Amino acid sequence: MRSRFTGRFMACLLLLSACAGLAQAATLRLAYDAGFGGAESLDPYSPTRFFFTTQAMYNRLVRQEDDGSAGPDLATSWSVSGDARTWTFHLRDGVRFHSGKLLSAQDVVYSLYHALDPERGSPVRSTLKIMDRIEAVDRLTVRIHLKSAHADLPLLLLDQRCGIIPEGSADSIERTGDGTGPFRLVENDPEGVTVLEANPGYWEGPPGVERVEIVAIPDQVAQIQAMLAGQIDYLPSINRRQLKLFENHPGYIVQTIRTGHWPGMVMRTDMVPFDDPNVRRAMRMVVDREDMVRLVLGEGGGEPSCDTPVWAGDKYHAQRHCPQDVGQAKALLSEAGYPDGIDVDLYTSSVDKSFVSMAEVYQNQAASAGIRVKIHQVPADGYWTDTWMQEPFVATRWNQRPADQILNEAFRSGAAWNETYWHNAQFDRALDRARKEVNEKRRRELYVRTQQLLYDDGGALIPFHLNVNRVFSSKLRNLPPETELFVRWQYIGKTENEE
Amino acid sequence: MLKILVRRLVSALFTLAFVAVVVFAVAEALPGDACTAYLGRLAQGERLDNCRASLDLDQPAAKRFVHWARDLAQGDLGNSLKRKKPIEEIVGPRFRNTVILGTVAALIGIPLAIVLGVFAGVYRDKIPDFVISGVSLLAMTIPEFVIATLLIFVFAISFQWFPAVTILPTDAGIREILPNIVLPVITLAFVMTAHILRITRASVIDAMHSEYVKMATLKGVPFRRVVFRHMLPSALLPTINIVALTIAWLLSGVVVIEKVFNYPGLGTLIIQSIFDRDLPLVQAIALMFALIYIAVNLIADLLVILLNPKLRSQVSGEGG
Repeated sequence: MRSRFTGRFMACLLLLSACAGLAQAATLRLAYDAGFGGAESLDPYSPTRFFFTTQAMYNRLVRQEDDGSAGPDLATSWSVSGDARTWTFHLRDGVRFHSGKLLSAQDVVYSLYHALDPERGSPVRSTLKIMDRIEAVDRLTVRIHLKSAHADLPLLLLDQRCGIIPEGSADSIERTGDGTGPFRLVENDPEGVTVLEANPGYWEGPPGVERVEIVAIPDQVAQIQAMLAGQIDYLPSINRRQLKLFENHPGYIVQTIRTGHWPGMVMRTDMVPFDDPNVRRAMRMVVDREDMVRLVLGEGGGEPSCDTPVWAGDKYHAQRHCPQDVGQAKALLSEAGYPDGIDVDLYTSSVDKSFVSMAEVYQNQAASAGIRVKIHQVPADGYWTDTWMQEPFVATRWNQRPADQILNEAFRSGAAWNETYWHNAQFDRALDRARKEVNEKRRRELYVRTQQLLYDDGGALIPFHLNVNRVFSSKLRNLPPETELFVRWQYIGKTENEE
Repeated sequence: MLKILVRRLVSALFTLAFVAVVVFAVAEALPGDACTAYLGRLAQGERLDNCRASLDLDQPAAKRFVHWARDLAQGDLGNSLKRKKPIEEIVGPRFRNTVILGTVAALIGIPLAIVLGVFAGVYRDKIPDFVISGVSLLAMTIPEFVIATLLIFVFAISFQWFPAVTILPTDAGIREILPNIVLPVITLAFVMTAHILRITRASVIDAMHSEYVKMATLKGVPFRRVVFRHMLPSALLPTINIVALTIAWLLSGVVVIEKVFNYPGLGTLIIQSIFDRDLPLVQAIALMFALIYIAVNLIADLLVILLNPKLRSQVSGEGG
């Protein structure tokens, strides 16, 4: 009898302490580099948006699903007209901004026009410029009329900047940060400690932690020290060497995340010798991509790519295998009139930390097919104005973009950043048709086709996409290995120590 | 006395003016201009024109210098290109933070250095001297960022007694700051102590061998009295200048230390502004460092004059 009582008593105590542990205000502390030097803005559309803060304070109309498609967020459903030019979004009812105002279609209309306002200079403007007219049909319905067809408008609205802000807030939003998201602003101090607290009325239910503190630590080594000393819980980006400090340590979890960022080497298809598609193919065929990843980035530093800018996490990514083929490369060069090999000049710079080693690895691999690469390392200052898009063969880099965007911005005939000066009417047509194609399966076929054309004929050597590494305290829960752009802050939880 | 004061002040002002000319000229001598440096890949079209207009870059350099110097004299440091705010607003709290860090380190380091230096000098070639001199030599030869990293490894990461890096709101008060800067203060004080200590020790040894100390000892003056009344006052005078030099050194030391510890002071700010190619901000901070350097040295010189009976009498013309 007595022992049973003791047992129950102990169980109660355990439960109580467990509850006390949970009830403690859990604070998530993360470090960021204060990259805009205190000019960080809480306006999600601003060119100097305060990234982590805006991610936690706003909702978009749609959110990224695991397969790369757009799922419901503030919009619960949507439909598109047969010509892919008119989109109708139905909004979630009962969502409130942090200020208490109820979300309505007017706010969405206002936000999207805010994005288009040239005065505000939002980086997302160029993507959303295809929107012609946006109207509120009723309290919870928004209709968007496009200038030209686009069957993937929801993917464009996935952009990290497309948070919904309240009507009339354009001039104050950079200070108030009034969104509908899981966290609301307590203290905005981009060069010190910015504090957010849980939004108790959040429409998905209360978030997993009570507070988020975003700590400015510009220096990467200092960030590592803060992590090792337990001053922060979450470090969004560390390099591979630093990874070793945290691997196999029970206090930390490290994650490697695939991204769509890529460095590459691009040939000008309008200049000798790269105006010959056979030369371009040979130049790309001599690369052993797996080896290049290992040598340039280190084991696991990236995912080999077969010259497609569309990364593996994108639903339009074309799967392909492209092993090194020295024999075929030699044959192609012969056919192009270079039976004794070819001399090429490759321009690179320390602008990006992988450029120089990538060039050196390429030089070695290409030698096997008689391609003699002379590397010119030019100063980082002025690289983008004097060398890139000027010299015939240069190193380049791009950040992650959705398939439609990267294909149009970097490869369409006449695009401002068409760095290979490639003109392929078939490619352009396929892109146009893909935008109009409302059938998803056929749309995917078209995007796969564009990547096939790039592989056969294009001038871009894209050896890999980069992986990034992050580390966080093992006290954190529900942080899936997804890119920073799509972390769902509301689900992250934290177990506090009972000390 | 007044004459020498005025003379010193005037020469300090001249030095400052010279530094201002150099700081301005160096920025002019760089290839391109402040706007192309800052904008980099984006330096074209309207953006470049706007930037140039905001800095009056279409005016001749001499005219801009006059404007810049006039604004400086009125306390207007201009605007930061990157932060788009008046530089005074940016620099103000950072300057305060650096002064706090430096002052706390100096308050601990200087007295400690003098006490240990006197001790080592008086007990020259005995065990306390060996220990003190040995450690101070170590402190002088190991770079401060190595010491800082060691301290972080031991006290912040292994034992977790003190924070590894400073995590503070921008407007943190001194009470909030102090518990956060234990390790940077120890690092700075450690290195600073070593320098001052060496000079103090040498100066004390000299004085201990001087005629007047020997005479006092021979006359039977007790050892303590010899040390405190006769030896120390003259032995400590040369340390004032070295203290001033060390405080000036603090300025460069602080840049490294602030970076290692993520301390929001002038040091981290100048590193960032160089990184951002924010020339107006770099110029302003460089000038501020020069100002502090000159001011500290000026104060030290005046203190030496005040405290040295010989110089004092020379100045007042009572013979020598």
